[in-house]
Amino acid sequence: MIFCLTQSVKLHGWLDNVLYFRSANLRCRFAAVVLFLILGVFSMLTVADAQNAPEASEKGKEVYEQSCAHCHGTEGRGDGAAAENLLPQPRDFTRGLYKIRSTESGELPTDQDLFDIITEGMPGSSMPGWETALSANERWEVVAYIKTFHSGFKEREAPPREISLEGKIPFSEESVEIGKGLYTELGCIECHGNVGRGDGTSAPTLTDAWNFQTWPANLTQGWTYRGGADTEDIFKRFIGGIAGSPMPAFEGDSFLHFGLTSEESKRLTELENMDEMTEADEEASNQFYEKMDEAVNVALTRAEGTELTAAEQRMYDDAMKIVYEKSWHLANYVKSLMPEERPEPAIGNNVLRSQYVQGGLPTIDDAAWETSEARYFPLVGQIIVEPRQFNPTIDAISVKSFYNDTEVVFLFTWDDRTYTTGDETDETTGKPLEDALAVQFPVKVPQGPTAPKPYFLGGGRLPVYLWHWKASAPEQVTELTAKGINAAEVQEVQADLQVKSTYTDGQYQLWVKRALKTEDKKDLQLESGVFVPIAFSAWDGSNGDIDTKRTITSWYTFVLEPVPSSRRFVYPPLIALLSFGLLIGLRAAVQRKNLEKLST
Amino acid sequence: MKRLSLFTTCLIILVGSWVFLEFVVGGLISVPIPGSVVAMYMGLVIIAILVHISVEDSLFQEFLRPIHETLVDDRRRLRRRVIAVLIPIFLLGYTYSIIAQRANPPGSPRDAHPSPPLELTYKDEVIGTMQDVVNPFRHYEKDDPEAFKAHVENGRRVYHQNCFPCHGDHLDGQGHFAPYLQPLPANFQDPGIIPNFQESFFFWRIAKGGPGLPAAGTPWDSAMPVWEDHLTKEEIWDVILFLSDYTGYQFRTFGEAH
Repeated sequence: MIFCLTQSVKLHGWLDNVLYFRSANLRCRFAAVVLFLILGVFSMLTVADAQNAPEASEKGKEVYEQSCAHCHGTEGRGDGAAAENLLPQPRDFTRGLYKIRSTESGELPTDQDLFDIITEGMPGSSMPGWETALSANERWEVVAYIKTFHSGFKEREAPPREISLEGKIPFSEESVEIGKGLYTELGCIECHGNVGRGDGTSAPTLTDAWNFQTWPANLTQGWTYRGGADTEDIFKRFIGGIAGSPMPAFEGDSFLHFGLTSEESKRLTELENMDEMTEADEEASNQFYEKMDEAVNVALTRAEGTELTAAEQRMYDDAMKIVYEKSWHLANYVKSLMPEERPEPAIGNNVLRSQYVQGGLPTIDDAAWETSEARYFPLVGQIIVEPRQFNPTIDAISVKSFYNDTEVVFLFTWDDRTYTTGDETDETTGKPLEDALAVQFPVKVPQGPTAPKPYFLGGGRLPVYLWHWKASAPEQVTELTAKGINAAEVQEVQADLQVKSTYTDGQYQLWVKRALKTEDKKDLQLESGVFVPIAFSAWDGSNGDIDTKRTITSWYTFVLEPVPSSRRFVYPPLIALLSFGLLIGLRAAVQRKNLEKLST
Repeated sequence: MKRLSLFTTCLIILVGSWVFLEFVVGGLISVPIPGSVVAMYMGLVIIAILVHISVEDSLFQEFLRPIHETLVDDRRRLRRRVIAVLIPIFLLGYTYSIIAQRANPPGSPRDAHPSPPLELTYKDEVIGTMQDVVNPFRHYEKDDPEAFKAHVENGRRVYHQNCFPCHGDHLDGQGHFAPYLQPLPANFQDPGIIPNFQESFFFWRIAKGGPGLPAAGTPWDSAMPVWEDHLTKEEIWDVILFLSDYTGYQFRTFGEAH
């Protein structure tokens, strides 16, 4: 604005000099015209830059009812037809609790926030991005309409306070190290677990503002972060909180030692951990508590909308400065927990290849596994047969494999927030709820691409061969044969499978070894170089997974990768030599011909 | 500037044609052209060059001259040596890469729209022949718009309670489970889908699901449920009404072209 005004003064002066108006009247009129033009341009600029939705209209209602109401309900209560099957539940707009905001704690989101969520969707939930399905205008109309469900939008007088991203601390190893310390110190570990897999001790007990169960984010899976996984996104979730969920905003008494400097905070922790305190110590710690109380009170006053005095404002700013700094370090640490992108699924030529080794196969904790490339199999809910699972909690399973002349070994790894071994039972069936995994192969490998395979959940004429592992029997895999998802039978002859498993920090590892060939006709017989269909199912007991209520993959491919042919060291040099010889021969032939020409 | 020799010109035409096919044309249609098509066009280019240089004996001699020179002329010694080293090295690497290549699984030749059976059934009940069966509620569109709207609304409910995790909120086949299914769920917003099929075909696909496909449709790969196990006949017809109502596409019909 100031820039524009100075520009306009300059422009005016320049024109004045060039045209040299003698009449004051004319000059006055000219100035008015220039001012008018500038104001016009200025207002146009503001419109183009607008981050606010238009007034709510019939158009917005129409788009909402066509595209949003089936989940969020016609009244915006989050109770549309699809809602009963969904967790996280579709947002109830009437309470004004919005998870993903660029605004401070307690504030409603900006219009731009709402627009961005509609545009990009919420990864890890069933909210899709609407960028291609709805025009930008339609999305803005929907934003305006959604705002009518909660009176707070109309009543708010000042624009919401946005979270400042100034003072960002760039990603560095030191910052990650500091963030790692804060992760424990601030209590993140209690929900998100030791290494961030969402497996903290309080993870299974969490509910949201509507009393629906909610799981803490698995921080190692950036692709499931509802509001994006950029460092700035993570930072905003800290400062603003995730409204309606148990994730608190870092302010006031939900932040450890709010109002103390880092040194004071360190000192207070020391004091709190002392077995016996001297009088002086007690005095010191009381002073710290008083200081914290004051800061928390100021934050509360501010949140209520009361104007702060200059001294209070200074105290609040000092307290928040530390919160901001620590949040940037913590955001850098969280960022360091995830791979840059979700791994590619094992489709196309990206098949699961078992690597040949001579001699013994690696045990479960062998370093050799690190040298092998994992293949990644994303899981989806089984919604084909009742009971169905619309809200899977297991994201994917990653697999590695080795084989030698007689045996094959697999290492299956998957994240599960809870270790469930059947202590609780399913209400409808009375069966124990527990974590489990099944690996599926055909009994007979289809010969050629057009030959029929078994149906991937069974049901066709061709049977499948299954390995079934349960958390309650961690060193045992049962062999099954099935012709349908509900028709699995335990094989009479159980092959000698060696099994080991571990559960650490929200992650299962299962190690299974079997002979390549068995005597049992109901078993899959393995041969090097043959492409074998493979599929997986996983059960998360604490998510109510039981029987057909589980997560599944479609058919993928597995192969015992043949040992590379030694011909690769023979033919290429031979061909190179041959081509060299041919070139020499060609030259000799041409030379001879030239000589003949000369001599005749 | 020196005139380019005939040999160099031919070489430039050959390489230029390849670059044009692979990158310019490929870039325009934004999908890579299949290798066999490129090979065919390149074959034509080579034949054209051969015809051109062989129409006159003098042209052919001119074409051969640089090759001849490179082979025997002492002024071309450096070029000769470079070529004598590069060609064998290239062949060495090329044959190695072919022999050492990992075997890849064969692709599945899947017919996305296999032919339906002659008769349309729901569970074991015969509804009629595939060709003649029409949606029993379609006529409401003209006769009783209120009733029609109720059926569409019911279809909307059925869709969002059963279909949308795979086929998507926007019916574009991009539900949140979709990326991890092979084959991908159908995209009803594709202009080539709804207008090409009768409603009876959709009823068949929904009622019998993946397992009801003939072998050409690789029933063993599809994750499409057998919906007659979960939905009533009415619900299936209603969801079909919803599909065309939401997308704006009309199903194919017969016998109206008079």
